[in-house]
Amino acid sequence: MSYEEVIFYFVAALTVLGGLGVVLARNVVHSALFLIVALLAVAAVFILLSAEFLAIVQILIYGGAVTILILFAMMLTRVRDMPGALDGPQRPFAALAAAAFLGLSVLAVVSAEWPGETEKITVIEFSDLGDKLFRNWAAPFEVASLVLLVALIGAIILARGEEGE
Amino acid sequence: MIPIQHFLVLSSILFSLGIYGVLARRSAVLILMSIELMLQAVSINFIAFAVYLYPKEFSGLIFAIFVITIAAAEVGLALAIVLRIFRNKATANVDEVDVLKW
Amino acid sequence: MEEAWLIPAIPAGAFAVLLLFGKYLPRRGDWLAIGAIAASFFLFFPVLIDLLEEVDKPGFAGVASGIDWVKFSLPGGPDFNLRLGFFVDELAIVMLAVVTFVTLMVMVYSTGYMKGDPRYGWYFAAMSLFAAAMLTLVLADNFLLLYAAWEGVGFCSYLLIGFWHERRSASEAAKKAFITTRIGDVGLLIGIFLLWREAGTFDISEIFEFAEEGGYSPEYLTTAVLFLFAGAVGKSAQFPLHVWLPDAMEGPTPVSALIHAATMVVAGVYLVARMMPLFLEADPVALNVVTALGLTTVMMSATMGLVATDIKRVIAYSTINSLGLMMVALGSGSVTAAMLYLFAHGFFKALLFLSAGSVIHATERQEVGQLGGLARRMPVTAAVFGLGALSMAGLVPLSGFWAKDEILNVAGDHQNFVVYGFMMLSVFITALYMMRVVILTFLGEPRDREAQEHAHDAEPAMTVPLLLLAALTVVAGFVAFDGVGEALGFPGGFGEFLFTEEPEAFHFPWDVAVLSTVAAVAGLGAAFYFWSGAAEPARRAAETFRPAYETLKRKYFMDDIYQWAIDRVVLVAGAVIAWFDRNVVNDTGVDGAAGLGVFSGFGMKFLETGKLPNYALGIVTGVIVLAIVLMVVRA
Repeated sequence: MSYEEVIFYFVAALTVLGGLGVVLARNVVHSALFLIVALLAVAAVFILLSAEFLAIVQILIYGGAVTILILFAMMLTRVRDMPGALDGPQRPFAALAAAAFLGLSVLAVVSAEWPGETEKITVIEFSDLGDKLFRNWAAPFEVASLVLLVALIGAIILARGEEGE
Repeated sequence: MIPIQHFLVLSSILFSLGIYGVLARRSAVLILMSIELMLQAVSINFIAFAVYLYPKEFSGLIFAIFVITIAAAEVGLALAIVLRIFRNKATANVDEVDVLKW
Repeated sequence: MEEAWLIPAIPAGAFAVLLLFGKYLPRRGDWLAIGAIAASFFLFFPVLIDLLEEVDKPGFAGVASGIDWVKFSLPGGPDFNLRLGFFVDELAIVMLAVVTFVTLMVMVYSTGYMKGDPRYGWYFAAMSLFAAAMLTLVLADNFLLLYAAWEGVGFCSYLLIGFWHERRSASEAAKKAFITTRIGDVGLLIGIFLLWREAGTFDISEIFEFAEEGGYSPEYLTTAVLFLFAGAVGKSAQFPLHVWLPDAMEGPTPVSALIHAATMVVAGVYLVARMMPLFLEADPVALNVVTALGLTTVMMSATMGLVATDIKRVIAYSTINSLGLMMVALGSGSVTAAMLYLFAHGFFKALLFLSAGSVIHATERQEVGQLGGLARRMPVTAAVFGLGALSMAGLVPLSGFWAKDEILNVAGDHQNFVVYGFMMLSVFITALYMMRVVILTFLGEPRDREAQEHAHDAEPAMTVPLLLLAALTVVAGFVAFDGVGEALGFPGGFGEFLFTEEPEAFHFPWDVAVLSTVAAVAGLGAAFYFWSGAAEPARRAAETFRPAYETLKRKYFMDDIYQWAIDRVVLVAGAVIAWFDRNVVNDTGVDGAAGLGVFSGFGMKFLETGKLPNYALGIVTGVIVLAIVLMVVRA
């Protein structure tokens, strides 16, 4: 086994463990913490994929902002104090569905014929990424910023509360 | 070198875990966390495809950037809605928010 | 002649106005109805003059005018054309003359007869509608319009027979009339469609051309023509569909005069006359059927008339008798004889009915058992009635004589002597029963003093039409003469104007005339023997021939046979179908389908739990199923 494979398996295990923790933990705050682990592990996966910029973005946004958001929401909705907040009555079906999906997906991956190189990663230059982003994908870029604006405004309005507060 | 299938299987596992979480968990916040998991898996997929199969036009990378952006926006909004519901019904339990029932 | 369409259109317009606004008009609008039909009558004259100018020209076959309404081609089949077209030729003109004049007389008469009736306005509306429908029937140039008008007159007959629908017997009679003629009408429709299917058109002239070119095989044409004749059998009360006409006397007497004597019932005769070219192209058996049914009708009705006791019924039987005669004439191939009789008959039969109406109006009685000796108190009525009766019997020089003789003539020429013999016998019997009713009603001693108290000749509105019709009864027959015809502007006598294939100059066959006169006079004399005074000989004859008498009284048991068939066959079949309709079609089919919808909807609503996780599960399940399907398909 080469170095890369070892590192890959380690990072992958970490990711999966984080994911398992999110969905199976008995304590909601533990779930949130496991989510952080998973998010950071995914950032490591991005590095393995030679997408360093995305790894950094991932850490910043997810590991930074999103987790804080979620923790705050947990605090405001008093999740910990509510009983029976964990698993719903659909558990068996959920497990079944997830297992089915997993099976199908792996089957598809393994039996598919991939067009192109499946063994070697081509490193993509950072400057090329920026170039593409601001040239060919300029319009979606602008739209994305609009989406952020709208989400911001919407969140403020929704969370603001009644008149006079 | 790591074959692409490894990454794809990894993302499948993550996605399935996300599905389980969305369907089985009761609290809205927990469900949102599971959705984040699913989005992560999707990003891994996109980037893997871009880097392995289509290195010339690496649309997958760009897409992953957008996924992160939109996910952030979505989480913000979704949590605002959850807060609202919590204020109205004093619960964040999705099983109890069934006003649109028959 | 292009404006001939106005003739039916004006009464149609009057009907519409009367229907909507009748009750607001002064006198309920009877003047409007009369005015409309008078307008039609006056319009007849310019049309006639136009026709006379054209008729001499060679190759004249009538003038058509009209508008196409709906026209489309059926895929791979004949064309379908709904056309409002009007066609004027010699045959139509003769009918127009009779219909417009008699309708006018009857309407004027009705102002007196129907006075004070609570539905006076509706009466005139229905009469106008009838006039419009009848005139359309006469002038129609295509079968669809003719059939529509045919149904229209049948409908108006129903309305008017059942005019006093508070009387159970009247509404029953109306139903009977409609249903019986319906049976014939179905045959007519089948015949029309058979003809259309091969010829590809409903236009009558085009169908004639098609037939003459041999477009129909002989069997096909014969079948189609016999189906058409079925319609005539119903409408013109031939055996076996004659049973409705005596019952139709439940309607007001002017209605009987107009519809069941002069106009509607002769529609069947008109139809056969118009279709004569087709009959001549078809197998001779078709015309033989016509003759056979006609002759049977003649004999049955004449014998039944001998024992009827209601004046109107006797005249009804005499109408059936006349219709049978006309059919025999047509069966012998002569449109001339049939139409001459139709022409004369329109006048004297209407006269008979209307004068009977005067009697009924004056005495409020219809049964001869309660009448008698009315000649003293109603001399004018008695005189005109007697005139009409003698014309019916065929006494020279009244119109009935010339017309009946023409028929006897052609029967003698074209039929075997059995037919001829029966026809002569019918002359005798006709004279017998007509004189019977004259004697029993007007002569002798009054049998019911009280009814006679107020009897007097009717008011002018009723008497003037009687006198006009009586005058025509006397002179109408003379149009048969060449000289008379030419003097009036026609190319010759009746036979030179209206003919089947060759113009027939009038000739007087002495043998037929003498024989028929002898028969008629014998009948008149025998009537006096049997029924004058206390009618002892009649009573004894009835006793001696009791079975025959009973059979005649029971109308040859035809009503009983039909009733049995209805009870045992038609109603039973109807009950079965009704059960099927109620239980299978309605309960299971319609209600069941609806119930299924409701039930499944009710069941499905439980899917809407309102809970997000359930919906999410649904989505995921759907995706998984789709993925599986795709994988299987791709494999």
